[in-house]
Amino acid sequence: MSRKVIKSVTNLYDKKIERLAEVPDEKLPPLKNNKELKYIGRGISRIDGYDKVSGTAVFTFDKILKNMAHARILRCPHPHAKIRKIDITKAMNIKGVIDIITKDNTEKIDWYDGDTFIFDEHLRYQGDEIACVAAENEVIASMALKKIEVEYEILSHVTDKMTAVKEDAPKLYDWGNISPDANPAKYNRGDYEQGLKNADQIIEEEYNTQFVIHNPTEVHCSTVDWNGDHLTIWDSTQGIFAVRNSVAAALKIPQNKITVIKKYMGGGFGAKLEAGKYTVMAALLAKRIGRPVRITIDRKEMNLAVGNRPDSYQRLTVGVKNDGTLTALGMTMYGAMGAHRDGAGCQWPLRSLYKCPNVKVEEYHVAINTGRSRPFRAPGHVQGTFAFESIIDMAAEKIGMDPIEFRLKNYAEVEANWEIPWTTKLLKECYKQGAEAINWKSKRNKKAGEGKGPVKRGVGMASQIWWGTGGPPAYATVKLNRDGSVHVLSGTQDIGCGTYTILAQVAAEVLEIPVERITVSLGNTDEHPYGPSSGGSMTASSVTPAVYDGALQIKAKLMSGASALLGVREDNLVYSQGVIYSKDDKNKKKSIQEVVRETHEQILVATGARNARPQGVMLNSFGAQFAEVEVNLETGKVKVLKIVAAHDIGRTINRKLLENQFHGGIIQGIGYALLEERVIDHYTGKVLTTNLHNYKMPTIKDAPEIEVIIVSEGDDQISAIGAKGIGEPAIIPTAGAIANAVYNATGVRIRTLPITPDKILNQVYNIG
Amino acid sequence: MEAQIKFVLNDEIVECFENPALTLLDFIRKHKKLTGTKEVCREGDCGACAVIKGEINENKIIYKLINSCIYPIGNVNAKHIVTIEGLNQSEFTPIQQAFIDEAASQCGFCTPGFITALTCYLLSEEQYNYNTAVDAIAGNICRCTGYMSIRRSVNNLIDSVNANWSHKLSRIDNLVGLKIVPEYFRGIQNKLMEISTDVVKTIRLNEGKRIICGGTDLFVQHPDDLTDSENEYVSDSIASEITETETEIHIGANVSFEQFNRSDIIGLYFPGLHEYMHLIASLPIRNAASIAGNIVNASPIGDLSIFLLGINAKLILVNNKRQREINLKDFYKGYKSLDKSDDEYISKIIINKPSENFYFNFEKVSKRQHLDIATVNSAMSMTIEDEIVKEAHLSFGGVAPVPLYMAKLSKDILGRKIEPGLLQYVVDDSQNELAPISDIRGSKEYKSLLVKQIIKKHFNVLFPEVFTAEVIT
Repeated sequence: MSRKVIKSVTNLYDKKIERLAEVPDEKLPPLKNNKELKYIGRGISRIDGYDKVSGTAVFTFDKILKNMAHARILRCPHPHAKIRKIDITKAMNIKGVIDIITKDNTEKIDWYDGDTFIFDEHLRYQGDEIACVAAENEVIASMALKKIEVEYEILSHVTDKMTAVKEDAPKLYDWGNISPDANPAKYNRGDYEQGLKNADQIIEEEYNTQFVIHNPTEVHCSTVDWNGDHLTIWDSTQGIFAVRNSVAAALKIPQNKITVIKKYMGGGFGAKLEAGKYTVMAALLAKRIGRPVRITIDRKEMNLAVGNRPDSYQRLTVGVKNDGTLTALGMTMYGAMGAHRDGAGCQWPLRSLYKCPNVKVEEYHVAINTGRSRPFRAPGHVQGTFAFESIIDMAAEKIGMDPIEFRLKNYAEVEANWEIPWTTKLLKECYKQGAEAINWKSKRNKKAGEGKGPVKRGVGMASQIWWGTGGPPAYATVKLNRDGSVHVLSGTQDIGCGTYTILAQVAAEVLEIPVERITVSLGNTDEHPYGPSSGGSMTASSVTPAVYDGALQIKAKLMSGASALLGVREDNLVYSQGVIYSKDDKNKKKSIQEVVRETHEQILVATGARNARPQGVMLNSFGAQFAEVEVNLETGKVKVLKIVAAHDIGRTINRKLLENQFHGGIIQGIGYALLEERVIDHYTGKVLTTNLHNYKMPTIKDAPEIEVIIVSEGDDQISAIGAKGIGEPAIIPTAGAIANAVYNATGVRIRTLPITPDKILNQVYNIG
Repeated sequence: MEAQIKFVLNDEIVECFENPALTLLDFIRKHKKLTGTKEVCREGDCGACAVIKGEINENKIIYKLINSCIYPIGNVNAKHIVTIEGLNQSEFTPIQQAFIDEAASQCGFCTPGFITALTCYLLSEEQYNYNTAVDAIAGNICRCTGYMSIRRSVNNLIDSVNANWSHKLSRIDNLVGLKIVPEYFRGIQNKLMEISTDVVKTIRLNEGKRIICGGTDLFVQHPDDLTDSENEYVSDSIASEITETETEIHIGANVSFEQFNRSDIIGLYFPGLHEYMHLIASLPIRNAASIAGNIVNASPIGDLSIFLLGINAKLILVNNKRQREINLKDFYKGYKSLDKSDDEYISKIIINKPSENFYFNFEKVSKRQHLDIATVNSAMSMTIEDEIVKEAHLSFGGVAPVPLYMAKLSKDILGRKIEPGLLQYVVDDSQNELAPISDIRGSKEYKSLLVKQIIKKHFNVLFPEVFTAEVIT
């Protein structure tokens, strides 16, 4: 099983990402269909279940070291200011305060791609970092924060993107407020103007989506410890290698002098994909004081400073013929990046969901005086799909066509941006099975809002496309012990999705041994081969093929060993349930334990690699969600009764964990559609929703009935495992499906998320 | 400022000196290094820090769930506090097993809170069923979110507990036998008896110090002030009962929301009580929050303040020298300003026993159905004789700087007949007394509209035969 190094190419948004990677030289034999498999596809319980239900799982937040100091960050209370002077004297005099770092006593360290420094004198949002205190405990550290005296020059601020793009708005950067990367970012396909001329109907609509906050249960935190010149970081992170590389660059130390460890983590959802300033501050403090440092941020800081889904204003245009053919799609959108550059666009659903020859897009990504945006579960696609699938619903209604029929009429047989075929696309099957499950025909109101009485019911749907599908580089080491037990090691992370369990299932399937005999170890940059950051629905799709490859190599070694021991040619041997038999003589056999023992090796080791992505084809996941809602027009309350999620996500590796992911994505999608919103008072520039009192996420009582239908088997062009990834697809269409169902129930079209009772009543009673 | 604290933590007697404002969560995690109990929101909104609190009442231990992040250690004297560590046994408990079997734990950070809440449910409820069990975990946030698998786990758990329950055995013997709780629970009662004699807490009221019953809002709004000031923590240390006389119901100041919810006396006169109370906070908050605290906190959207205004409750205020009675509607003078001197405290809340022709309804509109702060809440009571309004009280929260008693309207409708035309009259009249402001919970126009809608709802619920859907629309 030889190896080769390739340049792996991935199309992601408009970027062509090229990475060198070592991959298997030949295509590996694909897995059979799930019904013929023993471990993969089954609802196997999490192998890390014990630690979680017993509270013995040590999360980074729980990491305690001897003689550890506690660090807290002083943050700017103003949306926009410059530091005139910082005086730490009084704070340093508090008993128990050990050290304080600020811009005055540390080197300038570049951060956010050179937009700012770890400590900048220019503070661009409420929550920008000013100082970091190390103290004997958190209470003293918090007290010290109040005693640090900062003299500010208050600058005028702008916290609304549409104000920020005006000429006279206060500016955050010398380049202004509109990102040089998107001023505007343009995309053109065909002849948009001609497309509009060819249309029988033109629909123009404006949509707005809100800022939402990831709010994982575990706050961002690190515990750091220097041992001589070696730094160990326990971090609550989705990307251990990303953290290692950023911290090494920030501290100007070699990467082999840093170990990043993450075992258990209380959620991330995209907010923990990069190294945080807080980790660097903790490392600086720990070095200065010669003690381990634990740094945590609190819930208020979570809601101010560590990321959010950008908002959006989207002006959409759809040109359509009376027979339902789309002739033109147009989008002008503005999205707020927050105080530093980050993606804030959402054009991809419009560009890739349906067949349309003429498309025109202009995107503006705008800097404002609030915390920086970060990727949040399907960045861009969630905002974009809500708006685009809403206007598609309206277009269908305008020409009197059923929304599903309309989508089938404009079904894209080839990927529209590159005009290449997909490896697999089973979206039609999703429409069919989803519509049946929700009882589309009988539950849908022929005319929106036609139901009697103040409590209305209706159904709606929306489609989904996502990247995912994985790729190299990703590696996993498989070790077989003398007793037949197995270790699987990879430098990726399990952030709650069940990576530990699915990797064990893959090794179990190949080696034909029970899952209980497999231990999976993840999240250590020193001990594990490189694995990808956990984001973008890329972990399962990237790492499971690497484990598969590693396990196949182990199997090959065992076969060679058995061949030598038994004196039987390899092609005359058969491997079954951890025992190797001679095809001719079943009594001639060696168990895998015997092979390892008799070859006098303590362990057999192999490192598997993720295969190359196929070229000349497009790889996407697809799906459609169907919502049934009940709307009370007296109170404006929306209740989601049922969601049917029908998706093409390649192979199901673990049905239980897959449902976990879908339920989670859908319920977060319900939060996005109905509840969650970061509210800013534009006059003061301050965030009003800084705790879970005011930032409302769904509870168990808000969860509707959910039915998950998977229409796909493994896509073996993608990999031998053929998984496409499920984290993001689950959340993408939910808000659109709900908005369309609300319209079908009531005849009220809500164009601004979240769909709260006031917006419904305001429209019904026309009070604006 | 430190006080002696003595209680049982899991199976161990703990004796320490601490600032009574120290939260139980910090004590558990930082002092005792029991990190299974998690911190997420630190304001009682997520249940990750939920622990079980037991105390002896009439010779048996009553267990309740509390959020340790807003529970002062000053209140744990002579109590049994149970964390996830105190539930673990050599094998999984049936609750833990149910969670594993249904993959009800994703990242796992919220899981100990769910396990603890469900254990407390089994320790405290008289009967077990799926719906009340789900209610018991409605205050636990899972962001991943594994609610569907958690529901399945709960369903399996309840079925199996009910199937294996022996009615011949005591609750604790059943729970120990089923391995829901460890063996040591049998000895807790003796341990609590043993220490209760050591813990004689002298309550010093009337000294102008702040008296804190539940503190469920104070610990969210002003945790640092509490650490720095001297306060009396009186949760459960002052008698708190609901009693009745021939004409009145007396509610002890320290009565918790959940006690109110479960009171047979209150339930008799307010049959919809449980439904209203389900809209008011999560169970652990209702277990800690007191009624007097809600009144004194003077939040313009305090749910029980609105409830009590809607039935024209009275307060008994006492200090060293005197005792006086005041109508709740006269108690609020302005935003967070009360007709109460610093040395006075509420000793009792009194409501008149409703007559036969008494009608009452409570409504709450919030962004999230459960566990949310009201955008607008309201209570309306009426006594009707021969279709004529003899007495009426209407209150609204969220539309004025104080919990608003609609004094003019309550008076204007006296003597009027319950007939379709009354509704429009009340709706029009209501707008005169409102002063809503726009805030994160809604615009003032929306709140004014909500007042109209809620009035319609009140009439529709109370007199459905007169105020039909046609009359309303």
